[in-house]
Amino acid sequence: MKTMTRRKGRTFYKQQWFILMVVIVAMAAATGIANPKFFSVRNLVNILEQISTLGLVASGATVLMISGNFDISVGSTIGLSACAMAMLMKRDVAEPLAVAAGLGVAILCCLFIGANSLLFKAPSFIISLACVGIYRGIALALTGGTIQTIYGKFEYLGSTRYCGVLPLLFIVSLVGYLAVHFILARTRLGRRVYAIGSNRNAAFLSGIAINRNLMTFFLINGILVGAAAALLLSRVGAVQPATGAGMELRAMGAVVIGGAPMTGGKGNILGTFTGVLLMGVISNVLNMLQVSPYFQDITFGLLIIVSLAISAMSQKWQK
Amino acid sequence: MPEPLLDLANIDKSYGGNPVLRRVSMDLLPGEVHCLVGENGAGKSTFIKILSGAVRPDGGTLRLAGGSYSSLSPQESMRLGVSTIYQDIELIESLTVADNIFLGHELPAGIPGTVNIREQERRAGALLDMLRIRLDPGEPVENLSTAQKQNLQIAKAMHGEARILVMDEPTVSLGVDEKKALMRLVRELRAKGLGIIYISHFLEEVFDIGDRITILKDGEKVGTYDVAAMTADKVTRLMVGRDASQFFSRERSTVGETRFEVSGLSCEGVEDVSFSVARGEVFGFGGLVGSGRTELAEALFGARKRLAGTIILDGEKLAPASPLEALRDGVCLLTEDRKRLALFMNRPLSENVTVAHNELFGGALLSFALERAQVADMLAQLKIVAAGTDIDAASLSGGNQQKVAVARWLLCRSEVLIFDEPTKGVDIGAKAEIYRLMTDLAAAGRCVIMISSDMPELIAMSDRIGVMRGGRLAGILPGAKAREEELIRMFMG
Repeated sequence: MKTMTRRKGRTFYKQQWFILMVVIVAMAAATGIANPKFFSVRNLVNILEQISTLGLVASGATVLMISGNFDISVGSTIGLSACAMAMLMKRDVAEPLAVAAGLGVAILCCLFIGANSLLFKAPSFIISLACVGIYRGIALALTGGTIQTIYGKFEYLGSTRYCGVLPLLFIVSLVGYLAVHFILARTRLGRRVYAIGSNRNAAFLSGIAINRNLMTFFLINGILVGAAAALLLSRVGAVQPATGAGMELRAMGAVVIGGAPMTGGKGNILGTFTGVLLMGVISNVLNMLQVSPYFQDITFGLLIIVSLAISAMSQKWQK
Repeated sequence: MPEPLLDLANIDKSYGGNPVLRRVSMDLLPGEVHCLVGENGAGKSTFIKILSGAVRPDGGTLRLAGGSYSSLSPQESMRLGVSTIYQDIELIESLTVADNIFLGHELPAGIPGTVNIREQERRAGALLDMLRIRLDPGEPVENLSTAQKQNLQIAKAMHGEARILVMDEPTVSLGVDEKKALMRLVRELRAKGLGIIYISHFLEEVFDIGDRITILKDGEKVGTYDVAAMTADKVTRLMVGRDASQFFSRERSTVGETRFEVSGLSCEGVEDVSFSVARGEVFGFGGLVGSGRTELAEALFGARKRLAGTIILDGEKLAPASPLEALRDGVCLLTEDRKRLALFMNRPLSENVTVAHNELFGGALLSFALERAQVADMLAQLKIVAAGTDIDAASLSGGNQQKVAVARWLLCRSEVLIFDEPTKGVDIGAKAEIYRLMTDLAAAGRCVIMISSDMPELIAMSDRIGVMRGGRLAGILPGAKAREEELIRMFMG
């Protein structure tokens, strides 16, 4: 029976992640020719380390954006969570305990947004916009606006490299990607992410408990954001309330570059992964070619617009 | 005879090979109220949407304002003096009466880009006085009643120098006095030489203000008559008269003991409804659009808050507070609006089919093997035609989309299946499948509740027909003996 044949949604070479991979490889090759240091082990490891934090945050943003939600306060949440971890470590609280507390802070921050969004039937975008200031303000009040340096504590996570090349940071980030991929592709919870994002009314009328599931999505985001805060603290060794600022936009940008529409219901982690990788490589390439750092922000902004243009055009071609 | 304002000749329109209008013609004279009547789905709405430019006809010509057109855009239609007053009133709530009248053509004040509010209100006041509509031009629209908003829409049309006014069920949400006032206004507009196309389910209105009447049936014109030469009975007969061959006849299974019992159910839009459905029965719900049928279905499915009443299935009291609870209790609802309320348009067919089953019976992890088997089974059972199970629901035809929505509920093995307009906008082949399926479900001992505005379908499929009117159950008729004329009279009260 011809209706039974199982066909992959779109042939792989038309998918966003594949196009991005081609762009990344082409860019890497061109840069490598201009500056052979690009392909040095040290530089490649550096790229992987730099995109680890963003990867975790973007994984959380993927879940939220597919479900039709946004959390633009994750930058502030990272600052608050990392400051909490650092302050506890400075007071000689055991590292695992301090990390757990910081993780708890991040989870609470994210759940607070979900709960308010549901309670007041307001878009999570707006609630999280309000929370940007609230969370940063709390962090400023707690730290008195000072840098929290942990002087050699909690270095293990940020400095470990297996076989001298594979950073532990990247492995943690990879675990985040895989966990989100597993949830999205293999679990009922993942189906609910897509269903609620695609058509919330229809999801409700199909028996999906909207409130409970949306809170779960925010919980997942909180765990990933908290983990990102721990990574950042361990890598840098010092944080301040403004740490993480701008991270939310780069994370959401990576998800969009990965092909997920702002309207929800579509997207996957492979797209996000390649989006994050592209951002990391571009940032590195611009450094390698000694482009002024001011141009990096411009480049990221243009990149998001270009990727939106690509999805708009590929939708047109499909029709 | 004066020159007609409007002449629509041989208008054809079909959706996906399904003809909804076949060579329909109609003209409109100045100073005339021309009524357009027909059952739900006779093609009235499509016909006026072609006139207002919202729908492109497949064939025929529109002659108005000295020109001849094969189709109109909404802007053209407005420019040529056609103004349509829709059921859902299109006004900007936060602006004043005068602002709405002048919307898009604001009167400029001294400084460029600013609006001369005082002059607008003065002119709006003069216009309202001329129409004898009592409204304060400075009043925000959100403070107006439905009837006042409708009057404002008419005033707005007059301001736009409309010469042809289309009124689609203007009295549906009006009280007795408001209705009278509207009738008076319509008469005055007629005296000013406007041509008015008036669509209504209420025949007494047609006889009250109509000059001529055009009857549509199943997308074809039955005829145009002088109202003075007609009677309500005659119009009803012409509206519903059909060949017996068009009825779908179903095998009726023997009806067993009562399984599903609803008593005294009230919710927003429904008051004190009681009925029961027996093992193997198809219980139909008829009534006009807006009579409370969909609200009743939603209340039974836990999607609308119940204010009073009890629901009993097989001796057990049900009180679903959400669709999920209703599903666990064995009640499911196929919603009327599949695009908005049923399907995940940008998700694959397979996910659309299995979503409710996963919620009910599935574990935390998906079983792809089980899913594949279920989807394949449903494709075969319902003869769903699709290029694959991974294609988006949006790319399916209307009939196949509806079958996908039906498949979702079949997998849930519910005992009570509520189908709200199950064959709306589907082709004949899919219709037959859905009828067969409902018959099979009833024969297997399930309770089937079907809401339908399609009269032959309602009569042919239902063992009994409950007629809803104004949120109440007006009566229950045996399906096999029901006649369309009798039903229509009950619908309208």
